[in-house]
Amino acid sequence: MIRRTLCFGALLATLFSSSCIKDAPLNPEADIDSFIVAKSQLTSDPFIDQVNSKILLYLKQSAYENGVVPRIVPVPGAKVTPDPGDTLKFDQSTGLGLTAYTVTSQDGRYHKTYTVQVVNIGVWAWDFEHWVEQSPNRYMYPIEADSSSIWSSGNPGIAIALPSNQKVPGSYPLRDTTDAYHGSHAAVLETRGGTPLSSLVGIRLFAGSLFLGVFDSRFGLTNPLAATQFGQPYIGKPKSFTGYYKYTPGAVFQDKSGKPVAGATDSCSIYAVLYSGTTRLDATNIQTSDRIVAIAKLPDGGAKANYTRFNLPFVYYRPATSQMMLAIVMSSSYLGDQYQGAIGSRLTVDSLQIIHE
Amino acid sequence: MRNILTALTAIIIASSAGQVMAQEKSSSFKPFLEHRIVAGFNFGATTPMGFPNTIRSIDGYWPEFSPALGYELSLRASQIWGAAIGVKMDFKGMGTKDKVQYFHTIITVQDGSSTGTFEGTFTGRNKTIARNAYLSFPVSAVFTPNDNWRFSLGGYVAWKFSANFHGDVSDGYIRNGGPTGEKVIVDHATFDFGNEVRNFDIGFQGGAERRVGKKLSVLGNLAWGVRPIFPDSFKGLDFPLYNVFLMLGVSYKI
Repeated sequence: MIRRTLCFGALLATLFSSSCIKDAPLNPEADIDSFIVAKSQLTSDPFIDQVNSKILLYLKQSAYENGVVPRIVPVPGAKVTPDPGDTLKFDQSTGLGLTAYTVTSQDGRYHKTYTVQVVNIGVWAWDFEHWVEQSPNRYMYPIEADSSSIWSSGNPGIAIALPSNQKVPGSYPLRDTTDAYHGSHAAVLETRGGTPLSSLVGIRLFAGSLFLGVFDSRFGLTNPLAATQFGQPYIGKPKSFTGYYKYTPGAVFQDKSGKPVAGATDSCSIYAVLYSGTTRLDATNIQTSDRIVAIAKLPDGGAKANYTRFNLPFVYYRPATSQMMLAIVMSSSYLGDQYQGAIGSRLTVDSLQIIHE
Repeated sequence: MRNILTALTAIIIASSAGQVMAQEKSSSFKPFLEHRIVAGFNFGATTPMGFPNTIRSIDGYWPEFSPALGYELSLRASQIWGAAIGVKMDFKGMGTKDKVQYFHTIITVQDGSSTGTFEGTFTGRNKTIARNAYLSFPVSAVFTPNDNWRFSLGGYVAWKFSANFHGDVSDGYIRNGGPTGEKVIVDHATFDFGNEVRNFDIGFQGGAERRVGKKLSVLGNLAWGVRPIFPDSFKGLDFPLYNVFLMLGVSYKI
């Protein structure tokens, strides 16, 4: 009996092992995995925006004028055209690369075209007048006058978790509003509840967020705090961070498991962090890293019914260095990084500015 | 699959023909009924017929605790030919670990009244445990060449009364929407498709029994499902799975 069982087990093991495994399918993916430019030419690490098929480059002036020769690594088996060995030159007025790169998958069935964009922040002041709807996820994001994007938010992560029939601008925590302090538009951040898919990974609340930086969608599901990468290259010495905001906390503060917490009230958070280096800090270390040079932080994030001016001085912890990045981070729930807050908490911001020394 | 069906049909037809001939030979034989209690364990798999190329390796397989207990009523129509029907409580379970590449899936999550779905291609590790319990009704032609051996061949129908089909995915990534969607790393996520398992299973079954005592026999019986355990509308896996299980156990004549 036992022997027979063993024999059958062996038979099954054989059946289910190597003999049945077919040849590997050809790779259908068409991603650029890395885009490498000499570090001496950069003010920050390049970022590949996989959702929007964009390569964001942060170049020193000389590299911007002379062009760069990138090394492009696609997924195994895929082909890149044109030849990445060619010098990539930039239109000095638009910042757009003269070439876009098209990647063809190993199986030949899929293509993806990446455009190269040089990001350069001239004036550190924003009125949030220009907004674009992302396709196909339909969230709003602010763009600069030169149509580059330097602000990001949690919206790309929430897009992963939203059911497709709810993908409309109003479902996302960050969007535009005409209730502006200056000009015709401002940014509104509103904390919303989780979705069935997000509850699967224990997220029952999405705080509205808006920050200088990028969203790395690879970590969107497993480690959203590492996905929100804060900061843009900065030269100089900031003195203060100013702007206008108003804030209404939501009615019921809830903990991570979604249970109401009696007596607790939500508040917003607004801060700017100057740090050294060219690699971005993220939500796990933006307030604790030993690379932090200076912080300007709103001390009290309580309710403000009308537009209220803030003027936050940078408090220096270390001397400024030559390679630095500056992050501005705003959230409609101050514990949003722990998925706690009140659904409906609403922060509106407008006319932000960094005052330099 | 079609070959197996043809072969089984041929065997069944052949055995009915044999039955008619046998009855002619032994006219003095009086048909009688037999009752048996059958008990054992199921070993096997809920498996695709041939692995799709998105499955890159099977790293582990183990049978889950899968007892079977039933009653069989058989009619000995002649010295060597007869027929049997039975009723059996059948647990069919197994676990497997595998690696997959570019594996298309749609995950549906229900949370209260709202439903979320996520479609994409997954590359990484998978662990699946399937353990479904059925009330099955086997029907067989029985061939008894001598006192020691007894062979049966036929089909079965089965109703599911409890379903488990769950597991986890790890160390991989899913591409949102399809191969060109953005890569989203999955270090660990669980899935549960238990609610999707079909209520009704049907298939072929056949076995052999060797007498080891006055009333006791040991037996092996292979049940091969021909209906996918998930309905066509289910998109969690893009290939059909079938129940293929061998019961090893004993029968006791009462």
